[in-house]
Amino acid sequence: MSKIEIEHLSFYYGDFLALSNISMVIRDRDITALIGPSGCGKSTFLRCLNRMNDTISGTRLEGHVLLDDQDIYAPGTDVVDLRRRVGMVFQRPNPFPQPVFDNVAFGPRVLGLHRKENLANMVEESLRGAALWDEVKDDLRQDALSLSLGQQQRLCIARVIAVKPEVILMDEPCSALDPIDTLEIEELMQRLKENYCIVIVTHNMQQAARVSDWTGFFWLGEMVEFDATDIIFTRPSHQLTEGYITGRAG
Amino acid sequence: MPRETFDRELQRLQDEILALSSMVENALTESVEILKRRDMEGSRRLIAQDRLINEKRFAIEADALVAIATQQPMASDLRILAAILVLATELERIGDYAKGIARINLMMGEGPLIKPLIDVPRMAEKAQSMLHRALGAFVRGDVDLARAIPAEDDEVDALYNQVYRELMTFIMSDPRNIDQANYLLWVAHNLERAADRVTNICERVIFTVTGEMVEMDSEEGLIGIT
Repeated sequence: MSKIEIEHLSFYYGDFLALSNISMVIRDRDITALIGPSGCGKSTFLRCLNRMNDTISGTRLEGHVLLDDQDIYAPGTDVVDLRRRVGMVFQRPNPFPQPVFDNVAFGPRVLGLHRKENLANMVEESLRGAALWDEVKDDLRQDALSLSLGQQQRLCIARVIAVKPEVILMDEPCSALDPIDTLEIEELMQRLKENYCIVIVTHNMQQAARVSDWTGFFWLGEMVEFDATDIIFTRPSHQLTEGYITGRAG
Repeated sequence: MPRETFDRELQRLQDEILALSSMVENALTESVEILKRRDMEGSRRLIAQDRLINEKRFAIEADALVAIATQQPMASDLRILAAILVLATELERIGDYAKGIARINLMMGEGPLIKPLIDVPRMAEKAQSMLHRALGAFVRGDVDLARAIPAEDDEVDALYNQVYRELMTFIMSDPRNIDQANYLLWVAHNLERAADRVTNICERVIFTVTGEMVEMDSEEGLIGIT
């Protein structure tokens, strides 16, 4: 079942064409990985999916991004609600310098949830969802910055799922983490995909191969190939993809 | 982004597969030669040499696994390494068929053959030629050749059927021929199976180049033991 449909998407930074005529379908409750060399446009593409690029001046977008058949770039779109529905996890864990509880409760509070009991339930549910509850439940008042980097990243995931998103975008979510923390995030992704549509940008091809169901390969602003992950990593159709994933191009 | 070290290792492993194949081809040819010569000492030597084939097979397998574990191969690199693992096994099994023929020779003892061997050496020659060219197709990535070779298995099967009928005639004409005819039928069977393994190798060559898993049927038209 498709969650996001991208139709003829092109994106410009000023006069520079960063993404060229990209069309693809992102399926719900699957993990879609975007791979490609630095500067190929994959992170720009990811940020098009929840209009994070709107914050950069001089940018322009052509084409359509349909979330459940609604164009997210249509006039009148509530961008704040869009970013609630399409949450994002960044490269470096970026918790607020506040207690763990308040980090997770931040989004629900902004959305008007203030009853203590409801908030506590929401925080617990989100921390459990992010596989962090057992590690922090004894001291939810501890400063989020006192957690390990891997725990901080899972806290950021808890913060995203606390506002009940439908899609989670992950931009290199493990690049700052050690291998054990990385594997924990990857395992978490497998659990999260039962309830969410996940799109991940990663430089780590083995990670894309391990975690994703679908993989798109970007090159110089174009999506060269998009297919099931097992096909991309065993018998890709395009020479460019072959060259990149075998480490002989890019 | 060159991968010279990894490329060198892939090349070395392919060279090792060629070396293994060469050992196996020699064993296959030699097994029938010593059968023809009724050479008991040659049989014992060939059986002992099979250990070298087995050792090389395990060495190739171990190195291929190290390459997979340390280099994280993808796409065509992964297919080549997967093929190397399969080829090493197939070649070792063909080596076992040659060893089996040497064992049969010992079991038959030094007495004269009930008939001159004509079609059995032809089978060995054909199987060896198919094997040699299949390995050539592997190192050159020649899909057309890999698709063509399995059809030649029909010739091996036809020779096998001929040997089978002929030996049955010998058995029927004189029951004292049963033992040796039975042994010779097993020799022919080993050669027929060796050619079948070449078909498996060709399937791997096609997979390595195209990523397609195809089955090249080689069992049709056989009579007797398969």
